Amino acid sequence: MPQKWKIFLLDNLIWVIVALFFLLNVFITPQFFSVKNIVNIFYHSAIMSMLVLAEGIILIIGKMDLSLEGILVFAPGVTMIMATKLIPGGLNPVLCIVLTLAVGGLVGLFNGYCVTKVGINPFLQTLSLNIMLRGFVLFLLPFSIHPLNEIYTFAGKARLFDGMLPVAIPLVILIFAAFQFVMKYTTFGRQFMATGGNPRASFISGINTDRIIIMGFIISGVLAAFAGLLAAGKQDSISNAMGQNLLMVAFAGAILGGTSLDGGKGTIIGMFGGAILLAMITNSLNLLGVNVSLVYATEGALIFLAILLDRVKVKVKNNILHQTKMKEVLEHKNNTVISSGH
Amino acid sequence: MQSNILQLKDISKVYPGTIALEGVNLAVRKGEVHGIIGKNGAGKSTLVSIIAGIISPTSGEIVIGDKNFKTLSRNNARDQLISIVTQEPQVIRDCTIAENLFMPDYASKGFFINWNKINFMAQSIISKAGLNMDASMNAGDLSISEQQLLLVVKACYVEKSQIIILDEVSASLTQDDEKLLYDIIQKRKSEGCTIIYISHRTDELLNVCDRVTVIRDGKAVITKECAQLSKKELSHLIVGDGYTSTAVTNDLSVTQGKSEEVVCKVNNLTKYGQYQDINFSLKKGEILGFAGLRGSGRTEIFKGIVGIDPADEGSITIKNETRRFKSPAEAFKSRILYLPEDRDKEGLINCLSVRENLTLNILSRISHNTVIKTASENDCVAGLIDMLDIKAFSPEQEVNELSGGNKQKVIVGKIMAAEPLVCILDEPTRGVDIAAKEGILSIIKNRMSKYSSVIITSPGIEDLVEVCDRILVLYQGKIIAEFTAEEFDEKVIYHAQQGERKVVNAPEMENIFAR
Repeated sequence: MPQKWKIFLLDNLIWVIVALFFLLNVFITPQFFSVKNIVNIFYHSAIMSMLVLAEGIILIIGKMDLSLEGILVFAPGVTMIMATKLIPGGLNPVLCIVLTLAVGGLVGLFNGYCVTKVGINPFLQTLSLNIMLRGFVLFLLPFSIHPLNEIYTFAGKARLFDGMLPVAIPLVILIFAAFQFVMKYTTFGRQFMATGGNPRASFISGINTDRIIIMGFIISGVLAAFAGLLAAGKQDSISNAMGQNLLMVAFAGAILGGTSLDGGKGTIIGMFGGAILLAMITNSLNLLGVNVSLVYATEGALIFLAILLDRVKVKVKNNILHQTKMKEVLEHKNNTVISSGH
Repeated sequence: MQSNILQLKDISKVYPGTIALEGVNLAVRKGEVHGIIGKNGAGKSTLVSIIAGIISPTSGEIVIGDKNFKTLSRNNARDQLISIVTQEPQVIRDCTIAENLFMPDYASKGFFINWNKINFMAQSIISKAGLNMDASMNAGDLSISEQQLLLVVKACYVEKSQIIILDEVSASLTQDDEKLLYDIIQKRKSEGCTIIYISHRTDELLNVCDRVTVIRDGKAVITKECAQLSKKELSHLIVGDGYTSTAVTNDLSVTQGKSEEVVCKVNNLTKYGQYQDINFSLKKGEILGFAGLRGSGRTEIFKGIVGIDPADEGSITIKNETRRFKSPAEAFKSRILYLPEDRDKEGLINCLSVRENLTLNILSRISHNTVIKTASENDCVAGLIDMLDIKAFSPEQEVNELSGGNKQKVIVGKIMAAEPLVCILDEPTRGVDIAAKEGILSIIKNRMSKYSSVIITSPGIEDLVEVCDRILVLYQGKIIAEFTAEEFDEKVIYHAQQGERKVVNAPEMENIFAR
């Protein structure tokens, strides 16, 4: 059924765009099509894709989180300050990793608690928290901490297979796969989607929606902290400038992947596609030698184009369904005319 | 023969999910009150929305006076002096009555709004229409009924329209306000206006209208003079030939299964300002009806029981445990489930599939270690769809593409699947067509009551009389009368709803009044 195919492609439009953009670059961008570069794209997308996932999950639940950027730098920053300055003798690096993720989770818990129990608008809550976290980080980390323990930087820096494959890539893919499974095949995922789709109805159905929303914020906090861990590992240091300008990109990636700002809609696979597309755009612009300042503007323009495309997609899809229905109506009419003619 | 002021020629409207209208022809004469009636989902509202320019038709032609239109915008329609009052009153709550009346055409001196003049004009219009309101009050402070009447007044007297569309306006009016509405309609008619009147209620329509058009399955079936129609004929036209009334039959095994065992008891439930001292007990397998007008506290009591808006005092006893639920999740654990009256806002997750909605309450049963077992989920969903006769392309179809009746069946199915001890059904038959209504009622009576006790309300007493074992009557937040199945009499219950206490005969009721 060609119609069914059309709708399938439209539903997974982000991957169609990824494929087309990939093909385009194979032909026009020198040095693009090589194993090394493709690995490079994935490696550079790792940090951002974690933020895309974190933001996407919050968008599914119908809220938004502007503090991800702050958590990204705050969680590893605070942990390392403790390990290097506050606690004499330092901390076990594995404990540091756990602590980093826990700090992210705690910040998320605070966000979730304020949004659900206190009833603060999530935009204002996370906006103010982001500014607060940035401020703390500037105070605590006037200079970067360097170098870091090898175990702490393992996720962001280590490479497998003679340095061919950074550990970050399989880790990120694994995380996306796990979330895809959780969202689709577990009771938690089902309650999560329901709460995002209609919080009032879910509440009345007996779902503890406050808990689900708080869980969403905690998950997104942990993911942002993990992104911070990757970032720290990648540059083998923690500086107060980490993660700057990544927040809006995280939004763009999630929305490109088909996540709705109204909640209840979005897939994990789509978010991954959105992140990959963004990474590919940056990579190809760099390889084409576009001026660094212009790269940023071009990225913005391309994101805008992609979101525009998303709008077109919705219209085209509705139109296809509409046409099918129209045909049915007309056929039905013709049939009745024929049968009455007999 | 009078001339036609409005004509629709071969109007169709196709939505992605459904065909709302198909080749509708309609002619409305100048100066008549033209009724439009049909089952829910027949396309009445779509039709009038097209006339008012709120939605545009897929094909067809609209003729107003001597002008032809392919489609109307809302501003076009205003220019042609067409007004519409919709089913749910749409006032701007934080603006005064005067502002609401004149929006968007304020009286002005050049650039500035002349507030004195507006308030004065508003007050005179309101008193002319026979309403008792202060024009400087906020519209949000009016009751729903008054808000609706205000919008009717706006359409009739402020916008000075030639064609006034009233879309199920009387549904949210009190009886007194209803009389005012009929007066206004008669007055406007005598002044040469044309009124298109939509209603569910056949008797009302026959009283108010000159001619009536019946819409069935998106087609205009017939237009007839009201004088030539009886209530029975009209009902027959609405339902069509294909449908024979199958009244809800009694399944004997169900009646036999009933026992005197009390499942749930509500003790002195009180929420100040809404309801006081609600006491009743519910037997196993019993269907208990709550009769009462809008605002008598039905929904509030239900929401108090399940903990959506917890009550201030009192308790619920279920399974030897006495407590007051603080959230629906707690009530769910004690196996009390609530079916909300507003299905789109409170009942369904519209962007999820039929399958995901149906199994929302039984996730723990169809999963193993929180991982959902796809096979048992699919079995369960197929069984429910089959039993309730839900019409969907597939279980994966999004719920918001279904028709109203099927949406309602999905919610009923969702609650049934959980097999709760107590089902609280708040107007489960609201806004569904007759066939779906009978289906839902018979499932409640013959299936649901096998393992659950049911508390139910309905927009019409006839539904309650049909399915209930016992009916409690609410008036101003108190239970004022109780009827057992032998005593059921629609008229008596109807009067009791209005607060006429003389019908009370049960001895326990006297105790309540003695307080």
